[in-house]
Amino acid sequence: MMQYLVILLDDTSVAYCHCDNPHRERRLIGLDDLRAGILYAMKHNQMLQFVYPDYELPQEYLDAIDSIDHHDIVPFPMQGDVAVLNTVADAAEGAVCVLRTSLKELFAAEAAVADALRRVQRLNVVITDLDTFTDDHLAAYTSLLDRWAALLKEEYLAGRTPQLNLLTDRMMLSAPNHCNAGVENITLAPNGRFYLCPAFYYTHPEDSVDPADIPNAQLLRLDHAPLCRRCDAFHCRRCLWLNQRTTLEVNTPGRQQCIVAHTERNASRRLLAAIRSKASFMPEVDINQIDYIDPFDVKNEF
Amino acid sequence: MAKNITFIVTKDCQLACKYCYLVGKNVKERMSWDTAKAFIDYVLAREDDFREESVVWDFIGGEPFLEIELIDRICDYLKLRMFELNHHWFNSYRFSFSTNGINYHTPEVQRFIEKNRNHLSIGITIDGTERKHDLNRVWKQATPDENGIIHPSDRGSYRDVVRNIPLWLKQFPDAGTKVTISSPDIPYIRESVMHLYSLGIHQVNINAVFEDVWQEGDDLRFEEQLMLLADEIIDGGWYQDYACSFFSEHIGKPLDPVRDNQNWCGAGRMLSVDAAGNLYPCTRFAQYSLRSKKALVIGNIRDGIDQNLLRPFLTLDRTTQSPQKCLECDVASGCAWCQGENYDAAQTATVYQRSTAICLMHKARVRANNYYWNRLYRKLELEGRREEYERNKRSIAHQTC
Repeated sequence: MMQYLVILLDDTSVAYCHCDNPHRERRLIGLDDLRAGILYAMKHNQMLQFVYPDYELPQEYLDAIDSIDHHDIVPFPMQGDVAVLNTVADAAEGAVCVLRTSLKELFAAEAAVADALRRVQRLNVVITDLDTFTDDHLAAYTSLLDRWAALLKEEYLAGRTPQLNLLTDRMMLSAPNHCNAGVENITLAPNGRFYLCPAFYYTHPEDSVDPADIPNAQLLRLDHAPLCRRCDAFHCRRCLWLNQRTTLEVNTPGRQQCIVAHTERNASRRLLAAIRSKASFMPEVDINQIDYIDPFDVKNEF
Repeated sequence: MAKNITFIVTKDCQLACKYCYLVGKNVKERMSWDTAKAFIDYVLAREDDFREESVVWDFIGGEPFLEIELIDRICDYLKLRMFELNHHWFNSYRFSFSTNGINYHTPEVQRFIEKNRNHLSIGITIDGTERKHDLNRVWKQATPDENGIIHPSDRGSYRDVVRNIPLWLKQFPDAGTKVTISSPDIPYIRESVMHLYSLGIHQVNINAVFEDVWQEGDDLRFEEQLMLLADEIIDGGWYQDYACSFFSEHIGKPLDPVRDNQNWCGAGRMLSVDAAGNLYPCTRFAQYSLRSKKALVIGNIRDGIDQNLLRPFLTLDRTTQSPQKCLECDVASGCAWCQGENYDAAQTATVYQRSTAICLMHKARVRANNYYWNRLYRKLELEGRREEYERNKRSIAHQTC
C-alpha cells in the first residue's frame, strides 16, 4: 500500500539517494501541481515528503506546504527533518543527515565519519557509484566498517545510540526494510507527473506512471524478487533503479548491490555480537552466520 | 547437461515463412570469419566459466546452410582448438542444425555431413502436406526492400524440400522434423502429421506458435483436429513406431508452486552470437527476432558477458513470471512459454511477464491428449498389450522452440 508521496519541488531539488540529479536549471513545480499533489496525498492517506532546492521558495509554495503534515528533505545548510550534506564535516549535533559519496571519497572520509558519529542522531551514507564496487573492494570495505563498528560499540556501551545506516540498521531489524519505491512510496516530479522514484525521473523522464495502474507493478514487490525475497540483508535499499541499471530488471539486483549489502550485514552481525558481549542488546534480533556474500551464488540452495 | 551455443551465421534465408518469428530477416547481416573465430576463442579460453559436461554448437539463420563454407571453417577450427586446449568438450560435442532443407543435397553440404557425421544433428523443417507446408513456408521475393529486409512471395517450397527427405532419412534415420502451427494451419494438422509419418519421419515435434495470432474458435478447431489425429494414429497402429509431440502422458496436470517452480525455457543458460559479435541469452533476443522491444544484448566478443545481465535469466522461476490464472490452472503441466516472446509481448521491458496467448490452445491440446491416452490404453487393455506397449514405447524429445 502506498504510504508516502515524495514531491520534488524543483528540478534542482537536492538528490538524496543513489542517483545524481542531472538538472542544473531551476524549474519549480507548478503551484497547481503542488496543490494537486498535496490533495492527492490527503485523499490517499499518504505522508508527504518534500524535497527542496537550495533557494528560498515563493511564499505561496511555503503556505501550500504548511497546509499539511509533512517531512522536509533539504540541502545543507537549510533546516529540515533530513539534511543532505555537502561534506560529512557539516553534520551537526543531533542531526539526521544524508551523506552522498563516492566509494573513493568514503574511504578518504573515514576519520570525518567517525567524528560525525559522535555528534549525529543518524547518518545515512549513500554510495553514489555503488555499481562500480567490485570484489576487490571487499577487504577494504570490511575493514572500514569494522573500524566504525568499534567506535559505535563504545558509543552504545556508553549509552549513546548514534545510527549509521551501514552498520546499525540491520542489527535493529527483524524483517526487510527496503526502499519499496512504487509499492509504499511514489514521487511527484516538477513536470506534474508521477515516477517510481526521483531516479527514474532523472534518468527516464519518459517513463512516468499512473500510481493507480503501474504496469507490471507486481515486479516491484518483494514477493516477486526471487533473490531478495529469501535474503536477510534486511537493511538493503533493494534499489529498483540500481537493479534496472545493472541487470535491466527492477526485481533483480546486480552483484554489486548484493555484496555491499552482505558486507554490511556481516559487519552488523559482528557489531551486534560485540555489544552483546558486554551488555544485553536487541535480544529479538538474530543475524546468522552465512558463508556467502551474494545470494545469487547460492540460489540453488534457497 | 549440455551447453547450447548458437552461431547466427546469417539473417538471410531463401524462404520468408509467414509465421516466422524472425521479423527482421535480411540479406545484410552475415557473420565474418573474424567474428566467428573471436567468439570461439572467447568461449574456449573460459573453460572454468562453461562447466557443462558437453556442448551443442548450434547454427541458425535465416538458413544456416547458406553459409556452409563459413560453417565448415568454424567446425574445423572448433575441433582443432578443443583438441589443442585439451578442452573437456572435445570428447562431448555436437554440431546442430535446423534447416529448411533446400540446400541439403548440395555437394558442399554433403561434404560437410560426411566429414562430421558422428557429431551431427540435422533437423529439416517440413510442415506436412504440400498445401499445409506451402500455406506458410514460401520463397522470399527476389529482391529485398530498401532496408535489406526480405518479404514473402506466393511460391511454396514443399517440392524443393520434400525431394531431400529420403537422403536426409537415409543419413539420419532417427531424425525428427519440427512442425509449427499457427491459426491458418489448424485444418491441416491431421493430414500433415500422417503425411510426415508416410514419408518415413518417425518423430514429429509439433507446437503451436507462442505469438498472439489466435482467432476465436481456434481452440475448438484445434481440439477437433487433434482428436481426428488421435483416432488415425490409434486405429492405424502408428503409435507403435511413430511419435507426435502433441500427445504426452505428462501434460495437463496441476503444478506444485514449490516442487514444480523451475523455468521452462533455457534462455540465459544458452549463448548466442550474431554477425556483429553481440552476445545474447538466446537467439530470440536478437533484434531480428523482436517486434516491439530492443535487442537484449548481454555482451560482445570483445568485452565478454556482463554477468549482471544473466542474473534475471538464471533466477527466473515459473511462479514469479506467471499470472495468477496460470498458478491456479488445473492443467498447467506442459504449457510452454518462450522467454523471448514473453519479453517481446510484455507491457514493460521485462522477461518476468509470461505471455498467455497460448492458453486456450494448451487447454484444447490437453483435452485431445486426454482423449488420446484414454482411447489408446483402453484399446491396449482390451488387446492385452498394454504392458508390452509400456516396455517398448517411443519417447518423445522435449522441444519447445
